[in-house]
Amino acid sequence: MSAGGVPGIEARAISRDFGRFRALDRVSLTVPRGEIYGLLGPNGSGKSTLIRILCGLLAPSEGAGSVDGLDVATAAEAIRRRIGYVPQRFSLYEDLSVEENLDFFSAVYGLAGRRRIERREWAIELTALAPYRERLAGKLSGGWKQRLSLAAALMHEPRVLFLDEPTAGIDPVARRELWNLLFALAGEGVTMLVTTHYMDEAERCGTVAYLYLSQLLVAGRPDELLALPEVTPAGTRRVEAACAQGAAAVMSAARALAYVIEVTIFGNALHLLVGGGVDDAAIAADLERASGARVEVRPIAPTLEDVFVRLTRAQQEASNNRSGRAA
Amino acid sequence: MRGLWAVLRKEALQMLRDRATLFFALFIPVFQLVLFGTIDSTVERVPTVVLDLSRTQESRALVDDLVNTSLFAIVGHVDSRAALRREIVAGHAQVGFEVPPDFARRRVAGESADFLILIDGSDSTVSSQTLAAATGLALTRSLEESMRAARLAAPPLRPHPVMLFNPDSRSANLLVPGLVAILITFSATILAAFAIVRERERGTLEQLMVTPVSPIAVVVGKLVPYLVLAYVQLTIILVLMTTVFRVPIHGSLTLLLALSVVYLCALLALGLLISARAKTQAEAIQIAMGIMMPSILLSGYIFPLASLPGPLRALSQIIPATHYIAISRGIVLRAATFHDLWEHVAALGAISAVLVAASARAFKKTMS
Repeated sequence: MSAGGVPGIEARAISRDFGRFRALDRVSLTVPRGEIYGLLGPNGSGKSTLIRILCGLLAPSEGAGSVDGLDVATAAEAIRRRIGYVPQRFSLYEDLSVEENLDFFSAVYGLAGRRRIERREWAIELTALAPYRERLAGKLSGGWKQRLSLAAALMHEPRVLFLDEPTAGIDPVARRELWNLLFALAGEGVTMLVTTHYMDEAERCGTVAYLYLSQLLVAGRPDELLALPEVTPAGTRRVEAACAQGAAAVMSAARALAYVIEVTIFGNALHLLVGGGVDDAAIAADLERASGARVEVRPIAPTLEDVFVRLTRAQQEASNNRSGRAA
Repeated sequence: MRGLWAVLRKEALQMLRDRATLFFALFIPVFQLVLFGTIDSTVERVPTVVLDLSRTQESRALVDDLVNTSLFAIVGHVDSRAALRREIVAGHAQVGFEVPPDFARRRVAGESADFLILIDGSDSTVSSQTLAAATGLALTRSLEESMRAARLAAPPLRPHPVMLFNPDSRSANLLVPGLVAILITFSATILAAFAIVRERERGTLEQLMVTPVSPIAVVVGKLVPYLVLAYVQLTIILVLMTTVFRVPIHGSLTLLLALSVVYLCALLALGLLISARAKTQAEAIQIAMGIMMPSILLSGYIFPLASLPGPLRALSQIIPATHYIAISRGIVLRAATFHDLWEHVAALGAISAVLVAASARAFKKTMS
């Protein structure tokens, strides 16, 4: 913990079991105040479970956590007044209008009188919902529903905001606008824990963590993660092989090369992790010879996606080895 | 109770906007009341076939006497016992009369004259009433003739029956007050179960639980609008009962309405208990039906409680509907007072208290 003092969110070795299934396995993380913390991981890896525990909806089986300095186990009531929660699935009342939904949630948070109207209008302005005031929430499109969820979660000025895939299923423009909103809130000191599947969103976060099979594999600033030695092991580097005729044609040729460790298609190009001292020209020549197509090769830096793919594979191999030994 | 007012307001708004629920709550009971209320279980004009082998003035007099009871309606004459049987098997008639060839001769000779009554016993209500009417008629005629022969002015035994409370023996008077209970049982329980399950199914309950609203405020705020709706429903049914079905309320309407609140609390608590178990509305309906069908069968609405075997009769005593039906019939038909009904009131109050406590516990558990 740096000069910021008490962190906005802290999880200390939190585990959660559902029957015999361990949904979270000793997950620890710290989110400084005013930071946007990105939580990534495949579906079912435990992201929502962690958020639900930190919101006080679910009790942890083991471990402890705090939100805005308050203990999750003992101060659930006080925590509820200080947090906002935007769940993955739209969870406001579809048969109430935008304004009625906001009125309801502001009343539930104890806002009253002029203050309630002030906060409602502030949230409507922030999320640009004014033209849809009278519309039933169920009749809004995905992006607007998400804004309404956010507006409902913000009126009581939460210190900490939990967002579970807030941008799932909404268009790129709405996505970018929502993120601009989140940055504005972070600027005002709101701490945020956001889950997402989008790498571009992950890159915007102050810290990114990756959950895999209920465990936190890695956490750090995006640039730190890109520089991890496991991502680009010693003696290897990453190159892009662009092919105007389409990358699929070159794919099998690339796989057949002994020094190629990993191949991924990106549009009309392949991203390769290559070993040994092979230079770009030699790779291009090998690919052209094998596929008969024209190929251009240039060095590239890893992306966050590369980071998570490498770490997932490493983890899989490790657990395979473990179970192999056990058997 | 933080947030109670907000939940109440929201729930009322949603309820008024939900046409399907309002229709279900207000129109369906009225429809069922009209349907069940107009059914009369008094047996009349049972289709009857006659095999008259005597073909005399005496045999025709017997058949006319039977028809005059208005219980039998002659639908045909046949000429063999096989044909008589066939008509009953085919369902064309439920009763057959056979008058033997020597009927008139024996009547004139003063000997006892036999006749055969064939009854379709498959419907016990019809068979018992026709049997009683036919044998009763024969006994009355026999008695009259014996008295004439013995020159007696009056029979040795003379019953003086007095029908209290339902002088016309109208079955509506018995059925409709019970039906009131049945109708609010169904709708109040299901409405209450739906109120919570719907929020869980749509995921809105979780959103609500991260706010500082107290779980008790959620339950009370959600149930009160449905209590009001059930009350409106009860009022409509009572108005229909007294106007359309002309079943007057002999006792205190205030007492009936006050005790109905106790019963509605039991129903809403039962609905809440169901909602603690059910994940979806479909599941809630299934559980509700599974609980309510047997409780209605055992409540005394359909079968008299006295006809239930011992263990079932004991079971019927813990069903809230049993006591509410007894209260409702008592007040409506017999002008019973609180004092007369105190045992049922105490039982209903105890059952309601247990259900409310159990549902509060179950709800607290599902919320954490």
